[in-house]
Amino acid sequence: MSFTRTLIDNLRVKLGAMDPLPPPPPLPVVPYPPSRVFPTPRRRSAYAEAAAKHTTALVGIGHVGTRYATNVVLQFQAELAVAHAAVGTELPEGWAEANGLLPLHSQVTSHRQFLLRPDLGRRLDAPSLSRLGERARRGIDIQPILADGLSAIACMGSGLTLLGHFTRECEARGWSVGTPMCARFARVWLEDEIGETVNCKVAAILLGERPGLGTGDGLSAYLVYNPKIGRSDGDRNMMSNIHARGAPPEQAARRLAVLAGAMLDQKTSGVPLNLHGLDLGHEAGGGYRAPEPRVRLVYSGSDSSKEKA
Amino acid sequence: MNLSSSIRGVGYRFGSVKDVLAKSNPPKSGDDLAGISARDAVERVAARAVLAELTLADLRANPVVPFEIDELSRMVESTLNEDAYSAVKHLSVGQFREWLLEPTTRGPTLRAVAPGLTPEMAAATCKLMSNMDLLTVGAKCEVVVRANSTLGLPGRLSSRLQPNHPTDDVEGILYSTREGLSYGCGDAVIGVNPATDTPESTAQILTRLHEVRVKNNIPTQHCVLSHVTVQMKALDLGCPMDLMFQSMSGSEKGNRAFGISIALIDEAYAKMKAKTSNRGPNVMYFETGQGSALSSDAHHGADQVTLEARCYGFARRYKPFLVNTVVGFIGPEYLEDGPQITRAGLEDHFMGKLMGLPMGCDACFTYHARMTQDEVESLKVLLGVAGCTYLMSMPVGDDIMLNYQSTSFHDIPSVRGLLGKRPTPEFDAWLNEVGIMDGLKPGERFGDPGVLKR
Repeated sequence: MSFTRTLIDNLRVKLGAMDPLPPPPPLPVVPYPPSRVFPTPRRRSAYAEAAAKHTTALVGIGHVGTRYATNVVLQFQAELAVAHAAVGTELPEGWAEANGLLPLHSQVTSHRQFLLRPDLGRRLDAPSLSRLGERARRGIDIQPILADGLSAIACMGSGLTLLGHFTRECEARGWSVGTPMCARFARVWLEDEIGETVNCKVAAILLGERPGLGTGDGLSAYLVYNPKIGRSDGDRNMMSNIHARGAPPEQAARRLAVLAGAMLDQKTSGVPLNLHGLDLGHEAGGGYRAPEPRVRLVYSGSDSSKEKA
Repeated sequence: MNLSSSIRGVGYRFGSVKDVLAKSNPPKSGDDLAGISARDAVERVAARAVLAELTLADLRANPVVPFEIDELSRMVESTLNEDAYSAVKHLSVGQFREWLLEPTTRGPTLRAVAPGLTPEMAAATCKLMSNMDLLTVGAKCEVVVRANSTLGLPGRLSSRLQPNHPTDDVEGILYSTREGLSYGCGDAVIGVNPATDTPESTAQILTRLHEVRVKNNIPTQHCVLSHVTVQMKALDLGCPMDLMFQSMSGSEKGNRAFGISIALIDEAYAKMKAKTSNRGPNVMYFETGQGSALSSDAHHGADQVTLEARCYGFARRYKPFLVNTVVGFIGPEYLEDGPQITRAGLEDHFMGKLMGLPMGCDACFTYHARMTQDEVESLKVLLGVAGCTYLMSMPVGDDIMLNYQSTSFHDIPSVRGLLGKRPTPEFDAWLNEVGIMDGLKPGERFGDPGVLKR
């Protein structure tokens, strides 16, 4: 036997090859762990309590080792499921007409195509282009465009409210406002073709933004001066998080009107637009407004009656 | 220069180096969107066979965006380190891949060669590598940078604390900040994406983050990720600023869409070096991500991996303290699902490190991409194994302002614990001093934000 083989055999003996494998260790006494739950007003930590006056972020949730408590995991999974459901919802055909809006449609033909082909979501299909040419008011100051974007739920919910407030803010400033319209399967840059076609000074697309965890009700707005096909992101100014937890529609509409006014004054938008000294509303100054509480989504069994009480 | 190959007797001919690079790419929805990907798996391998035989000199001579129309291509060419380039220029891409994988090729050597590599070379090599190849070479690279703390040392895994808030409520930002610090997060930077892009709010947030850092003697950096022109105005207002941020794209046209140019970032860098509140020498922070050029129609028919590498060619000019790819943020039209996002994260980390950057990764997904929570958790571990410089961190990984799912405060100590990694030495010492950590284990004050002075 070679020297190495001998060494390996000796090593095996040293590791206890002659003895039986050890039995499993004795069973432990497993206590109930301390109660760690998704924070609710009755049971959350003092830190979570204080933080909730300023943020919807899930803080003060504690930990098990370095991981989450079971209740936190369930809350998280429920919020994730809500977000995925919001993404999957489509704007129903006929919804725009039913709400008095000129219906427009991008070149996208299915929801999956909408996700994978932004180029098609940036251009109108032929019937929409002719409808726009025939029925929309031209040569105006502001063209607001409501659109589904990534959340039809937000478009159908606070989208209508935002459109109404924004239109009134613009009219109150003496600007001419274009025909109210709503675009389906729309991406941000669709405002370029629409704005160019109706010959407006500022195009403002108001569209559902990517749903967040547990939510699908957020809107974003993108404004561009002298819209035309070929504009890029640097030519636009945007506002996101238009929802109850961020900027509510009424407040957002005022701020968007201030932005549009700056564009009309300075005859530009995007990076060259000077925002210095603009009154963009109190959210720009970090003023205090209580956030909406993050609701607990999951209840089960006896836990349910206790928590709701 | 040969641009043809054959597989089982079937001949394949490619139109250009750019075409070979594009068709060599693993499947990405963004390359399909651009209409430049291989039509099937066999053509992809045929393209790789051509790529493997091209020399690094061929790649230098053929950037995917021509010199005549792109300032990034010209800048990379004119600033390339000729000595470093000479050391490897004779190798084919296939041979360069093998040299990288040789155990005798170690971190310091890779660091020496980095300034001689063009983005196209890094991207080409990436396309010949499997995920485990990318991990193997990524883990060998050593890129150490210094600000108030020392980032990128072996055995370390750092994190950006990202306490974003939908209305920039500073108290809300600080609640998330204190919570994150109590989990050992935030040694790379405490960085806020502001909801409002104005100099005043940028200055206000920085001032308050500075108070937390100074009052608690935390060896880290702060940053507000507004547009670089806004940060320059904020500096004029006289606020503290440890790192200056900007998003980058891989072509001149793409950068124009971001409202930046080489001249502008040169100016910003000069101003930051003069005015920063960080001890230096590294003062800049850049973010990138596959697909950004295509999203502004600025890709010039090139693939998104090569364009991503070109961002690193831009970034390295400014010796940044942090660079990270926001890999899953852009959406499914560029990276469709879990496997594509995972692959892209490992590619970007490898290419950035190979080019000498302190590369971090925002392992994340948006809710309209087909990636599961389990897949993104796996990616965080893979990145840790690959020696990724830093990950992000926020409460339950939920960015309540940008609406996407990233790394959580809990994930950072979890990955560190699994891999035996620690934060920067300076931050590690602070965590142990205040009782948040006890060596590699959670300490008595772990997860207790009350440990921070208000």
